Amino acid sequence: MLLTAEQQSLLDQPLQSKIFLQGRAGTGKTTAGMEWLKKLLAAGIPAHQILVFVPQRTLAQPYLACLRDEVAPVHSLITTMTLGGLARRMVDLFWPLVSTEAGFAHPNQPPHFLTLETAQYYMAHLVRPLIENEGFFESLSINRNRLYSQIIDNLNKAAIVGFPHQEIGARLKSAWIGNIEQLNIYDDVQGCVDRFRQFCLAHNLLDFSLQVEVFLKYLWPLGLSRDYLTSTYRHLIVDNLEEDTPVTHDVLNAWLPDFDSAVLILDEDAGFRSFLGADVDSAAALQASCDTHLWFNQNQVNTPGVGRLKVGIGAVIGRLQARPVEIDERSTGAIQDALITPDVNIKLFPSMIRWVAEQVSALIEDGVSPGEIVLLAPFMPDVLRFSLGEQLDALGIPHQSHRPSRALRDESATQTLLTLAAVAFPGWSLAPQRANLAMALMQSIDGLDLVRAQLLTNQVYDQRVTDFPLKPFETIPPDLRERITYRVGERYDRLRNWLQAGSQEEALNLDFFLSRLFGEVLSQPGFGFHDDLDSANTAAILIESVQKFRWTVHQQLPEVEFAIGKEYVQMVQDGVIAAQYVRSWEERSPDAVFLAPAYTFLISNQPVDVQFWLDVGSPSWYQRLDQPLTHPYVLSRHWEAGQLWDAEDELAAAHETLHRLTIGLLNRCRKKIYIGMSELDIRGYENSGLLVRVINEAWRLSVRSGS
Amino acid sequence: MTATAIRLRPGQQAILRYQGGRMGISAVPGSGKTWTLACVAANLIKLGAIDPDQEILVVTLVNAAVDNFSSRISAQLQMEGLLPGYGYRVRTLHGLANDIVRERPDLAGLSNGYQIIDESECTRIRKRIALDWIATHQDFIEPFLAYEDYQKKSVYSGEYNLPRTIDSIANAFIRLAKDWELTPAALKRHLAESAIPLPLVEMGFEMYTAYQDALIYRGGVDFDDLIRLALRCLRSDPALLALLRKRWPFILEDEAQDSSRLQQEVLSLLAGEGGNWVRVGDPNQAIYESFTTASPQFLLDFIANPDVEQRTLPESGRSTQSIIDLANALIGWTQKDHPNPAAHTALTPPLIQPTPADDPQPNPLDCPACIRLVERALTSDQEIHFVIDAVEAFLAEHPEQTVAILCLRNDRAYKFADLLKRRKIPCVESLLQSTSVTRLSTGAMAHILGYLGDPTSNRKLSLAYQVWRRAARDDEEVWKFHKAVIKIVESCKYVEDYLWPTPANDWLEAVVKEQQPSDILDELTAFRTVVRHWQSAVIMPVDQLLLTVAQDLFLDPVELALAHKLSTLLHQLSNANPDWRLPQFTEELGTIAKNERKYLGFTQDDDAFDPDRYPGKVVVGTMHKAKGLEWDYVFLTAVNNYNFPSGAAFDQFQSEKWFVKDQLNLEAETIAQLRTLIDNHPFDWYQPGQATIDARQEFIRERMRLLFVGVTRARRWLTVTWNTGRPPNKNVPAVGLLAMINYLEGI
Repeated sequence: MLLTAEQQSLLDQPLQSKIFLQGRAGTGKTTAGMEWLKKLLAAGIPAHQILVFVPQRTLAQPYLACLRDEVAPVHSLITTMTLGGLARRMVDLFWPLVSTEAGFAHPNQPPHFLTLETAQYYMAHLVRPLIENEGFFESLSINRNRLYSQIIDNLNKAAIVGFPHQEIGARLKSAWIGNIEQLNIYDDVQGCVDRFRQFCLAHNLLDFSLQVEVFLKYLWPLGLSRDYLTSTYRHLIVDNLEEDTPVTHDVLNAWLPDFDSAVLILDEDAGFRSFLGADVDSAAALQASCDTHLWFNQNQVNTPGVGRLKVGIGAVIGRLQARPVEIDERSTGAIQDALITPDVNIKLFPSMIRWVAEQVSALIEDGVSPGEIVLLAPFMPDVLRFSLGEQLDALGIPHQSHRPSRALRDESATQTLLTLAAVAFPGWSLAPQRANLAMALMQSIDGLDLVRAQLLTNQVYDQRVTDFPLKPFETIPPDLRERITYRVGERYDRLRNWLQAGSQEEALNLDFFLSRLFGEVLSQPGFGFHDDLDSANTAAILIESVQKFRWTVHQQLPEVEFAIGKEYVQMVQDGVIAAQYVRSWEERSPDAVFLAPAYTFLISNQPVDVQFWLDVGSPSWYQRLDQPLTHPYVLSRHWEAGQLWDAEDELAAAHETLHRLTIGLLNRCRKKIYIGMSELDIRGYENSGLLVRVINEAWRLSVRSGS
Repeated sequence: MTATAIRLRPGQQAILRYQGGRMGISAVPGSGKTWTLACVAANLIKLGAIDPDQEILVVTLVNAAVDNFSSRISAQLQMEGLLPGYGYRVRTLHGLANDIVRERPDLAGLSNGYQIIDESECTRIRKRIALDWIATHQDFIEPFLAYEDYQKKSVYSGEYNLPRTIDSIANAFIRLAKDWELTPAALKRHLAESAIPLPLVEMGFEMYTAYQDALIYRGGVDFDDLIRLALRCLRSDPALLALLRKRWPFILEDEAQDSSRLQQEVLSLLAGEGGNWVRVGDPNQAIYESFTTASPQFLLDFIANPDVEQRTLPESGRSTQSIIDLANALIGWTQKDHPNPAAHTALTPPLIQPTPADDPQPNPLDCPACIRLVERALTSDQEIHFVIDAVEAFLAEHPEQTVAILCLRNDRAYKFADLLKRRKIPCVESLLQSTSVTRLSTGAMAHILGYLGDPTSNRKLSLAYQVWRRAARDDEEVWKFHKAVIKIVESCKYVEDYLWPTPANDWLEAVVKEQQPSDILDELTAFRTVVRHWQSAVIMPVDQLLLTVAQDLFLDPVELALAHKLSTLLHQLSNANPDWRLPQFTEELGTIAKNERKYLGFTQDDDAFDPDRYPGKVVVGTMHKAKGLEWDYVFLTAVNNYNFPSGAAFDQFQSEKWFVKDQLNLEAETIAQLRTLIDNHPFDWYQPGQATIDARQEFIRERMRLLFVGVTRARRWLTVTWNTGRPPNKNVPAVGLLAMINYLEGI
């Protein structure tokens, strides 16, 4: 591979170095990091001694991939790790050493690690009575599930920033400037946090925050565990340092002297996960602990036009931030070839979508590979994603969309499986609505259309009975049987008989039931999931989710008498648990236009030729997430106690976010940015946020300097 | 036209010299105040009076004016070679409040994605609350009523009687309480401290509390809350205020005569002491003030302030000299000779002046004979026939002219429309049906979803077909073809044999055997493909299903935009109600389709109504809705003492109900009690009946201005009629009408 001089300068460093490497996106840092890994391996260092530390597992993919591509076989595996992974692994390993000291009620029994969804389930279990009986959060109008997740988020923030969870409420209150009612809400937050933590300690449950706290407070200072880590890992590569949290940086800082070599890679102008606690400043401070400092400056990505656009936008935002930006005259000038806007003013949202699809089509006709085009919006709401998809389909353009998470209940396969389970277990008293069952049957039975599914449901389903509610096909009058067709009838009977048999196995766990339903019936020829990989994938995720739920809940809440399966189904319907799951990272297809939220694209770190920025009038491009119960800035390490959070801070944060996001995107764009904007947004609201004004001003400056 | 390229009138020239400070402008109807204000905005941008991160803030009354303003400023900037849509922000007060709250929703106690509950939903909530209140408070309300026993049913259940009165009281009370920034909790404290019993406030308070609880339950705010909360944000966070002052260094306010106390407060805070603030309005056109704190007095006081530069826009090219003279005469007569001294302040100068001789908008050629003020008594029905005869005769001679019949109420306007249609005179009702596109498009989608929720129904399938092909309805020939298809679809007994045939049962094959024409078969095949597409989509979340249907149903971008908006709404509803299925969503769409909705931002129906799009047709509407519009010929109807009272002993007042004891105006009395509670003035106690009298005077003044607005809608022809009402009423001509007749006769 041909390396740049800057990349070569890293490889020229001696093996026993501690190197701090920084530079903007697109300067080839990760590539250099991978070459460094190869250099370590080539020097005979066993792979298992090498630790690649990243803020999110997917960011380690390039390092794993480069080993796969190696011609020479690697005889052991490198370890890729996040702070959460490290904490969990260490707590699991050294549990007996710390469980008593950490205050767990049953130190001699094993720990139970909570997933995000089981943590949310327990939080709901604790908080719901407080809301309903004790007037908690009375003055707040918020979806319950968001309420639970924000309380959990507060706990996580305390853990990763490194302050006691008992201070959460006080910190939030001290920065509040508005209505006094909100102060009570913060008290309620603290009350919930305390109760949750006590509950976890009482039941040996460890959510993410407790895993990190136990690791940092009790294990990290312990010689035994440090010795274990030091003896296992001798060489360290950290990538995307700026996306990690302050306590991670503390750990790395203390750990660095123990390594034989280390390369710490920091991306300037990034810190995209700041809302998750990423801290650019504590990342940059690690430079002092390294003996060599390298700086990559040569952007390998941008054409001159995009480079000028980046300078222009950076200058405009810099001016808004009252931050003098030194501009090299040579880097300013015309941006028209890099910034494409519609010729006419677009008023309505669907017209904008159509314009985007037409431009994509024209680009592909001009020879741009679909894989080199991304369509980005700050968030990618379902309606936008769907509409874009439809338009691209109509033009025959292949596309692929990525969303970091998706509600399980939104998957039709999930709905089908859980509806059939509700039918099979009438004791749950969760009889599905007629329309739901018709749809479940339509999906389950190959060849059954909506009309016949409704006819069939009307004939065989009796919602009112307390025992198994489906009648055999033969009970239907002959003329209707003929209308529904006997072929469908035979499949229906097979499904029905299986469900009825399943319903009689009282001890059957829901995950086991679903697994068998899928394997023995639905995936067989003649049934709806046969040869349907997407549904198989969804079923697998659902089954895993039920299983984890059962493991933790069944063991920890034996005093609660309920059918676990029924509880799970209700929780899914309410959106409390299993609402979100992280999809495995899908490789971007080189042949498909990619639709994604802007941050997802940034984190994936793969430059493209053309980016479309959609809905640029939306404030979501810079507004912080809507979190009335928490606050990423106030709960950060930089916030001074007692300082009030006011509109100036809000604006400064917005400017910073916008700067980071736009420059981050531009760093990952080779040739052109297309601006998709309509006067009115998807809900019909006027749509002229800060980004529009920034782009306009950059344009105006460019025209002026061009003339 | 750019500000520099055209000849400016003297009044406009003086205003366009504006570069900062406070300016108050009194304008007359048709003087081009919107255009002038747009020129001021464009001029300031052109002169570089704002920085890149600043905007000129233009505040106006209704959504229709927002578009109008934006396009005018854009056009002027483009003419100057500047990028349009940049450097200014045009907002209604609600839009502005929404912008402010969106800056820091947390300060308003809201989350970022807060909902604005639209007007129809709020009305529904309020009506329900009023009915519940009546059902549970009969003992309370009885002492206020006076009726015979046999009338009880009519009083309690008659739509126009007690339910409507209580709902109106709830509406007035809630709006005013919000205008005064009183939360239910604050009111409760006031009531607890009150030394005297104020039963009507108790009633209002109970309904207000129930109403706010209902909004909180829905996780949203209403339009009035938005303004109140915007003010709260501005007051809570000085940094936010400073920031917005910096962002909007110039405020231009149109229609300032309808400014409310809160609007004045918000803009005054944003402008800051000595800030740049231009207010334009015509105090004679203030017709929206009943039971709000809106008042032309705010504008008049502003203009009278010595620190404010006073300007007028007196020249108007809209009407003939005779109509201008008539309108000016009405101002003069009202000020000096109106029999009720309390009405003397209803209309004020400046008088209207014609445009200069070489003005680009010259006044129409004068025609004194084109004004017809009808003195003769007509019954209600006779008046309709009289006017329509006149319209018919006029259009026969002047098919290219624009005509409007203006009434006081929608139901009366519909009567005119009915007769026009019966006599095959083309008429336009869009001023009455303000949400036609929303209603029709939403209704169309509701029908399709309705079918998908009941897929075995051939009747609903045929309805879905009619919706799919609804664009062809206007063409009789084409529709005849579709009617044939509808009939065939309706005859399909087993829908599945059509949509999803099996080799043994294919309904379409049977149709082929009936030797139907091939175009019908093609049509049935095409429809089958579409329905199968929709049926396959039912497993998707409802928002995506709706969009899928919309893609097949709509071509018009406005309708598609509406579909996106609705799908977002359904997505939220589906999150809030996970157990909802197609029938519930269909019902919700049906509700939207039936009711008027007021949205922020986009609605097609808010697009400015342009009378000039309808030459040779008769626009029917109300005088209130006609504000800002003009026609060649205007008919003002029902100008009698019932609609335009003067305070004479025999005048009747619409708000004084026959079943209320002493015929008190209960809304006014409730508001007066609320004032007493809040003012808590030791010598200004609530006097029963006084508020009813005060409300009469206010109504008389407002109606004088409405008559003035009506007269000034006409360019060349004007006919004014009155009616005696339905027996046993014996209405007489309005004094304002008589005054104009006297003026024309030189008396």
